[in-house]
Amino acid sequence: MSYLTDWLSTMPSDPLSTTFAALADPTRRAILARLALGETSVTELAEPFAMSLPAISKHLKVLEHAGLILRGREAQWRPCRIAPVSLREVDGWLGGFRRFWDENFGRLDDYLEELKAKEAATAPAKRKVRAREKQRGRKSE
Amino acid sequence: MDAKVNKTLTITTPSDLEIAMTRVFDAPCHLVFDAMTQPQHVRRWFGCAEFDLPVCEIDLRVGGAFRFVMRNPDGVESTLQGVYREVARPQRVVFTERFSMPGFTSDEYQVTSTFTELGGRTTLTTTILHKTRENRDGHLHSGIETGVAPAYDRLAEVVATMA
Repeated sequence: MSYLTDWLSTMPSDPLSTTFAALADPTRRAILARLALGETSVTELAEPFAMSLPAISKHLKVLEHAGLILRGREAQWRPCRIAPVSLREVDGWLGGFRRFWDENFGRLDDYLEELKAKEAATAPAKRKVRAREKQRGRKSE
Repeated sequence: MDAKVNKTLTITTPSDLEIAMTRVFDAPCHLVFDAMTQPQHVRRWFGCAEFDLPVCEIDLRVGGAFRFVMRNPDGVESTLQGVYREVARPQRVVFTERFSMPGFTSDEYQVTSTFTELGGRTTLTTTILHKTRENRDGHLHSGIETGVAPAYDRLAEVVATMA
């Protein structure tokens, strides 16, 4: 089992959670939609929004941290552009492998409840009864 | 009260050739193992909500074969089939597998699943080992298993609703 614990402890924090949190805000989605049309400056980006430049900059930082946009290095004019790789990743995960297994395991959860109930009803072996009594005792503490 | 079970599916890529997933189930090891390796159980949950599973055959022993055929609402069938390499109920199972659908058959890959029980809950860890990175990436990103539209179709929709 050391394999499992080693692996769990070295797992990176979940980058997709960061991405989804960044996408949860309508202003940030609007910024992305604008950037999908092409690279632009922060000032230009801020124009359609009733927001101060610092407020827009804050949103840009969140998007940049999530890997959804890239920003130029020039001090004055920091052009922003969309990072297509990151969005593609979000979409790929949603549509493919993850969705398939999330759905399947969700159904398996429900089915396991059925199996547990069936087992409890039809196989009350002494050891199991004892185990259940023990658990009940723990629960009522 | 018991703490709530965290049922989040964790997916990582521990190497260029592998996909690893971990998931906790609120049931003892032997139930999870059987639910995943006996056809009468597998039929009850595996596949996709909108798909039929007309074939679900499992010969659970070393060298034994399995075959699942999924049929989408248009009648298009895709198949997962393979051979068991290790069977140690209820802790571990290893099998080779390939996926096929009309016009496409994947290379073979190896799947290793371990089941660890703690306090009546089971942690399933599955590692899928591909022969090449391209195959691995294809498995992760294509969505072939669900038969969903290509990722870019939906990306276009997502961007459209963002405006």
